[in-house]
Amino acid sequence: MQNLLDRIVASASGWIELRYQARSTKRITVRNGQLEESSSVLLAGLGVRALVDGTFGFASTTDVSERGILAAIDAAQTAARTSAGAKKKRIKGLADAPMATGAFSVATDDPLDAHPLEEKLNLVLELDKQIQSSAAEIVSSTASYGEIQDEKIIVTSDGASARIVDSKPELRAMAVATRNGDQTMGHESVGVTGGWSDLLGATPPAQLAERAVRLAVEQLSASHPTGGTSVVVLDPSLVGILCHEAIGHTVEADIVLGGAITSDKIGKTVASELVTLCDSGASEHAPYAVGTLPVDDEGVRTQRTVIIENGVLRSFLHSRETAAHYGVAPTGNARAFVYSDDPIIRMRNTYIEPGETPLEELVGGVNQGYYLRGLGMSGQADSNAEFMFGVAEAHRIKDGKIAELVRGATISGNAFEVLKSIDAVGDDFAWDHGAGHCGKGQLAKVDAGGPHLRCTLTIGGRQA
Amino acid sequence: MTDQNLLDRCQQALDLASKRGVDHAEVFGQASQTITSSVEKDDLQISKSQQETRIGIRAFVGSQVGFASTNDLSKLDEAAADAAILANASPGDPNNVLPDPQAIDPVAGMYDAAARSFSTADAVKQSIRMLEVAKSVDPRVIVGEAEFSAELREHVVLNSLGVEATELASLFTYGVLTTARDGDAVSNMAYRFGAARSVDAIDADPIARRASEDALGSLGAEKGESFTGQVLLDPFAVLNLFAPLQFQLNARNVLRGMSRWKDALGKSVAVQGFSLVDDGRLPGGVATASFDREGTPHQRLSLIEGGVLRSYMHNAYTAHALGIANTGHAAGSAGSLPAIGPTNFMILPGEIAKADLISEIRHGLLVSRFSGNTDPISGDFSGVAKAAYLIKDGKIDRAVSGTLIAGNLFEALKTLSGISKETETVFNYTFPALRLEDISITSE
Repeated sequence: MQNLLDRIVASASGWIELRYQARSTKRITVRNGQLEESSSVLLAGLGVRALVDGTFGFASTTDVSERGILAAIDAAQTAARTSAGAKKKRIKGLADAPMATGAFSVATDDPLDAHPLEEKLNLVLELDKQIQSSAAEIVSSTASYGEIQDEKIIVTSDGASARIVDSKPELRAMAVATRNGDQTMGHESVGVTGGWSDLLGATPPAQLAERAVRLAVEQLSASHPTGGTSVVVLDPSLVGILCHEAIGHTVEADIVLGGAITSDKIGKTVASELVTLCDSGASEHAPYAVGTLPVDDEGVRTQRTVIIENGVLRSFLHSRETAAHYGVAPTGNARAFVYSDDPIIRMRNTYIEPGETPLEELVGGVNQGYYLRGLGMSGQADSNAEFMFGVAEAHRIKDGKIAELVRGATISGNAFEVLKSIDAVGDDFAWDHGAGHCGKGQLAKVDAGGPHLRCTLTIGGRQA
Repeated sequence: MTDQNLLDRCQQALDLASKRGVDHAEVFGQASQTITSSVEKDDLQISKSQQETRIGIRAFVGSQVGFASTNDLSKLDEAAADAAILANASPGDPNNVLPDPQAIDPVAGMYDAAARSFSTADAVKQSIRMLEVAKSVDPRVIVGEAEFSAELREHVVLNSLGVEATELASLFTYGVLTTARDGDAVSNMAYRFGAARSVDAIDADPIARRASEDALGSLGAEKGESFTGQVLLDPFAVLNLFAPLQFQLNARNVLRGMSRWKDALGKSVAVQGFSLVDDGRLPGGVATASFDREGTPHQRLSLIEGGVLRSYMHNAYTAHALGIANTGHAAGSAGSLPAIGPTNFMILPGEIAKADLISEIRHGLLVSRFSGNTDPISGDFSGVAKAAYLIKDGKIDRAVSGTLIAGNLFEALKTLSGISKETETVFNYTFPALRLEDISITSE
């Protein structure tokens, strides 16, 4: 396939980008001891992007014969040409970048295909059983396994010709507990870039079950938090979601150009000087981050991009188009989830660099506040960095010690105000968003994390 | 434009599955051709043309089920083999059944022949028009995204019990996402959506105008007030907050013991004026189709009537498990097993004008969009009121930012004090404005 694409690109007119993808997906879900799903999906297709008269056109097809590919190129060039008449700001060019050539694969010595379906099925059945039998209050259990294996070939008329092989498995546990008509839920998940043993080693399944059950059961006897402003200690998971959802999207250059709050802030202080926030194509500080990718979907080699350095905004996240617009180098953030998606700016692994304060000191310095762990049911943020996230597990902190659990807590505020309020950054590090996807018109596997840290934000609860 | 051979391909897949020694099989085929034109940040961004044919095979070995799908039509036999392997390896479940054939009464107006000649240039014209209309409202408006999409889609469901259902449909969808910026002040995002089944019914101008007006309204919002009081939710906020009702009404969640309403059939779950309907045959609806993912006919179904729970949403599995009629709510694509989902999901309008609902509020909050959580299990909700306005003595006082609202969905259903006669449709949801009582309102 790579030879065919190389040959077609060599004889095509104008700038084009061909991206072939073959994807195999498996999913197993067991609920309350019953199999809900065992499925296998095989997808293959080609996405074509053409640049004509300073305008992109895109086409995708499932016909990957030479004739089908040529037809898709024609459709993409027609779409570009038709649109060019209506486009005001034509694309002046694409920024030069280290275009990838050769073969790239995410190394694992324990490939997913070496493990038969029965083994995966048994893992999920066992996990479900464990959730169900862990506590008398559990009325419903769900366990699921998913895997994505990708082969991509990216060839552009300006130098990229790369083949990338990748595998990303994930495992999830969910428990619902009930008492006196009251119902609560606990969930826990893990996802990695890597193989079978990488997944099972990252968070052992027993630990997933134990934490999901404990969360569900303990919430039954928890009260609601008091709404208002509070000093809090955030865990790596919530630090990650703050980095990704509330900050990261506002520095994606396409969002910046759409009027994000960061547009005139490069070189300005936007956070506490304790904060260095990055987005990287590599799994920094800890292994298996799920947003790991050596080459982006424009064929650009990825890098570690420093977004905020010691509190100062340094960089946005770029595609080749936005990098040319800003006169900077591409950061390798153009991504497409499947062949039928065109590459757009997405994050990879987004995190805050660890600091120097041990967790005990972070908590010890709080008189009255909250210790917050994990993302709850959902999260949302606007391009003005206003966010709201549900918290999976919230404890009060009293006199420097973690105290009772409260339920239904949410955190909200302006993410940059929260970053400015950070007065201590932990010395630990973890990735925690490997399961699931980020959505921006199309999906992406991303990761996010960081150390624990201490800051001030608004807790949503009930009026006292 | 769509794959003329889809029915033949599906028949071929069904034959291949039966050759793998399975007892029964179902094939769901989708062929689609989509043209999309997108505006981003006030300028045309990209136009796309996408073509896909996809086939999903569900294989049954006794009560054991396996599923495989592919878009590579040279791999139908491989997919059939995968489905059979998965079925043989999986534990059984007596409720794994296929629906029997039923007469399907095709919904009129699903397909407009004029959609066949709708070109990339036509889609570009529509997206540029939305941009121009949105910008004409006020120069401070930034069109973050405007997307126009034209789709031709063909669906086929075949099963070994004799179900054979096919439908050809055209669908045009359009959405506009705006913000407004005035110096340092950036408004909340505003989003509006519309859809049509025929070329003549496309009407994106009002969508674009409303998106701009909404964004402008939230400019210059200032700190609000903390109190417990009435909240008037606009339809979009109703969607954000009340979406978990689908979870309670999903018969699969009833079987799982997860639905709050698992024992509530025939009982009161909401105030008397509250009625909820799901209508898979709604003329012009985004989710309208003659049959569901398993080939069972769609219908108009009353879920909650006058506050009383009347029905859950079922597919063949849950209907068999509970021994009642299948409501035709099997949902999903050819890429996944049939799940359960709503079609056109509607809270029926009340009799009071929204303006009158506001005039009765002494101290409250009007919320256009809700960015937060509603826990589907407990019903606890908490989140930020977006594009929110303080109401004092029956009048809108001013726009407020950074205001959190919190309460419980199930309590709100039983205490809500007003349902507007005006409704709005977003995607497949049609909702009125709702007035809730005793909501905790916190200003940051």
